[in-house]
Amino acid sequence: MSFTLVAPEYGRTEIAPAKDETATKAAVARAKRHRRVRKVPAFVILTILAIISIFPIYWMFVTAFRPADQMLSSNPLPGPFSLENFAYVWSTIPILGMLGNTFGMALGLAIGQLFIAILAAYGFARWNFRGKKLIYILFIGSWLVPFQVTMIPNYVLVSQMGLLNTIAGVMLPQLCSAFAVMLLRQHMESFPKELLDASEIDGRTTWRTLWTVVVPNLKPALAALGIMIFISAWNEYLWPTLIMRQSTDLIQVGVRSFLGAEGNNWGAVMAASALACLPIFLIYIFLQRYVVDAFVRSGLK
Amino acid sequence: MFTEVLPQAVAPSDTATTDFPLATRRRRKISPYLYVLPASALLIVWTYLPLARTFELSFFDWNLLPTQPKTPVGLDNYSTVVALPEMQQALWNTVLYIGAFMLISVVLPVMFALVARRVSGRAKQVYQALIFVPFLITPVATSAIWRWLFAPENGTIPQVVKVFGIELGDIFRNPDTSLLAVVLIVGWGMLGFGVLVVSAGIAGISPDYAHAASTDGATERQITWRITLPLLSPTLVFLSLMTILLSAQWTFPIIDLTTMGGPSNSSTNIYYLLYQFGFANFDAGLSSAAGVLFFIGFGLIALIFVELSEKLSFHDN
Repeated sequence: MSFTLVAPEYGRTEIAPAKDETATKAAVARAKRHRRVRKVPAFVILTILAIISIFPIYWMFVTAFRPADQMLSSNPLPGPFSLENFAYVWSTIPILGMLGNTFGMALGLAIGQLFIAILAAYGFARWNFRGKKLIYILFIGSWLVPFQVTMIPNYVLVSQMGLLNTIAGVMLPQLCSAFAVMLLRQHMESFPKELLDASEIDGRTTWRTLWTVVVPNLKPALAALGIMIFISAWNEYLWPTLIMRQSTDLIQVGVRSFLGAEGNNWGAVMAASALACLPIFLIYIFLQRYVVDAFVRSGLK
Repeated sequence: MFTEVLPQAVAPSDTATTDFPLATRRRRKISPYLYVLPASALLIVWTYLPLARTFELSFFDWNLLPTQPKTPVGLDNYSTVVALPEMQQALWNTVLYIGAFMLISVVLPVMFALVARRVSGRAKQVYQALIFVPFLITPVATSAIWRWLFAPENGTIPQVVKVFGIELGDIFRNPDTSLLAVVLIVGWGMLGFGVLVVSAGIAGISPDYAHAASTDGATERQITWRITLPLLSPTLVFLSLMTILLSAQWTFPIIDLTTMGGPSNSSTNIYYLLYQFGFANFDAGLSSAAGVLFFIGFGLIALIFVELSEKLSFHDN
C-alpha cells in the first residue's frame, strides 16, 4: 500500500526535470518566483474568509467575558476579563441541567442512530433478498420528504403517545437516519466478503460476525458518522422547540427563551450563546480534522 | 494465507447449508429482513405514514385539538392556500432565498476554491479549520451573535458603517432589509462549508488532465473552464441539490430567531409559513395542503437534479 502511494510521486519528480532538461536554471527560478507570487491572491482570499468566519465568534467571547457594565464597549481588543455575565446566566437559568440533558439526548441519538443504521446497512450489504430494491428506495426517497411537511402528523403522534415535553419525544422520530444507512451500506459493501464468509465458516452467527468482524473494522467511519450525528442533534432546532414548548430542558429551547427575556442584555446573551456552543467547540478543538472530513467527505458521496 | 484456507473450508459449508434443518434455513431467509426491520419500521412510522396523513389532513378542516372533530372540506384548503397573498409572497421569497444561497454556497465557493487551491500543506489545514467553524455554531447562538453585531445601539456593524455615513437602523425590522439579513446570517454558515466541499472536489480531480492540457499548450483559463469545471460538475450538482433541499432547514431557525418572518411577511419563506399555519394559527388543513404542494414541487426539482447528476457523473472515467 505505502509503495503504491510513494511510486507516482517518485515518478513525477523524475519526469519533471527530464522534461525541463533544456530549460536553464534561470527559467526554473523565475517559474518558482512566479508560483510564489501567484499564491498571494490565494492567501488574501483565505485570510478574508477566515476573518469573516471567526470575527463574530471572537466578538461573542469578547463580549461575554467583559464586566456587565462594559458590555457595550466597542474596543476590539478583549478585556478587562470578568466572569460576571456567566455568573448571571448561571443564577438565572439551570444552564448546567440544560447542557447535561442536551448532551444526553445528542449522545443517545448518536448511539441509537448508529446502532439502527449498522443493522440495516449490514442487511442491505450482506444479502440479496426479495424486495431489497424497493425497501432501499424507501430510504433514498425519504430525502425528498422535508420535515416541515410531516411535522403536524408527527406532532400529533408524539402527543398521542403522551411524550410531549419529554426528551424521548424529541428523540424517537429521529432514530432512523436514512443518510447513515446509505453511508454505512457503502462502507460495508467495500468490505471483503471473504472475511465475512470465513468468519461464518468459523462457526460465528451473522450477528456475531457483524459485531466482531465488521464493526471493529469500520471504527473510523463509525466515529466520524457518530460525531456528525451528535453535532447535528445538538444543533437541531425546529423539532425540539415544537415538542418542548412547555419545558426548557434542552439548551436550544432554554437559551431561546433566555434570549427573549434578556433582550438587549448583550453580555449575558453572549455568555449563554457561548455556553450553548461549548461541547461543539470542545469536540472541534480536539477532533478538528475528523469533523471537517466527516462533513465534507460525506457530502461528496 | 487466507485464500489458501478458503477453498477447503467452502466445501463442507456448502453441504452444511443443504443439510441444515428447515428451521435454520428459514431463519437464514428471514434474517436480512430482521436486520433492516428496525430502520424500515421507523422510517414508515415517522416519515411515510405521516406523509400520507398530511395528504389526508389537507382535505379536512382541523385545529389540531384531539377533542375537536375534523370536517371534510374537499379541495377548499388548496384553493385557499393558492390564493393567499402571504403564500405568494412566501413563494417569491423562497425563490429569492434559494437564488441567494446558490450564489453563496455554490458560485462564490467555486471562485474562492479555484483561487485558494494554490495554498497547500499546514497553511491550508489551518485556514480550512477556521473557515468551517460557522457551519458548526448552533443556530440559537448564531442568531444571537448577529443580532448583537447588528444591534442599532452599539452594535459593531452599524458603528462601522456610520463612519461611511450610512445609517443602518434595525435591519431585522425593516421590510427592505430583513430578507437580506437572514440571507447574510445563514450564508455566513454555509459559505465555508461550500468552499471546503468544492476544494475537496477539486483535490479529487487528477492533476494529470491539467498537466496533459498544458503540455498541449492550453492556457490557465482554458484548463479551468474546459477541464476543471466540467470534472467538478458532479460536486456542483450535489451542492446545488443540497442547497435547494436544505435551505429551508437552514433558514428556519434563523428566521424564527431574528425576524419571525416579518415585518409584514417580508422575510418569510414557505416552510416558515407552513409552521405558522400549523402551530401559530392551528390550521392543520391549510398547513397540510401547502405541505403537499411543496412536497410535489420540490420532489420534481430534486428528480431533475438526480437525472442531471447521473448524466454528469460519467465524466471522470
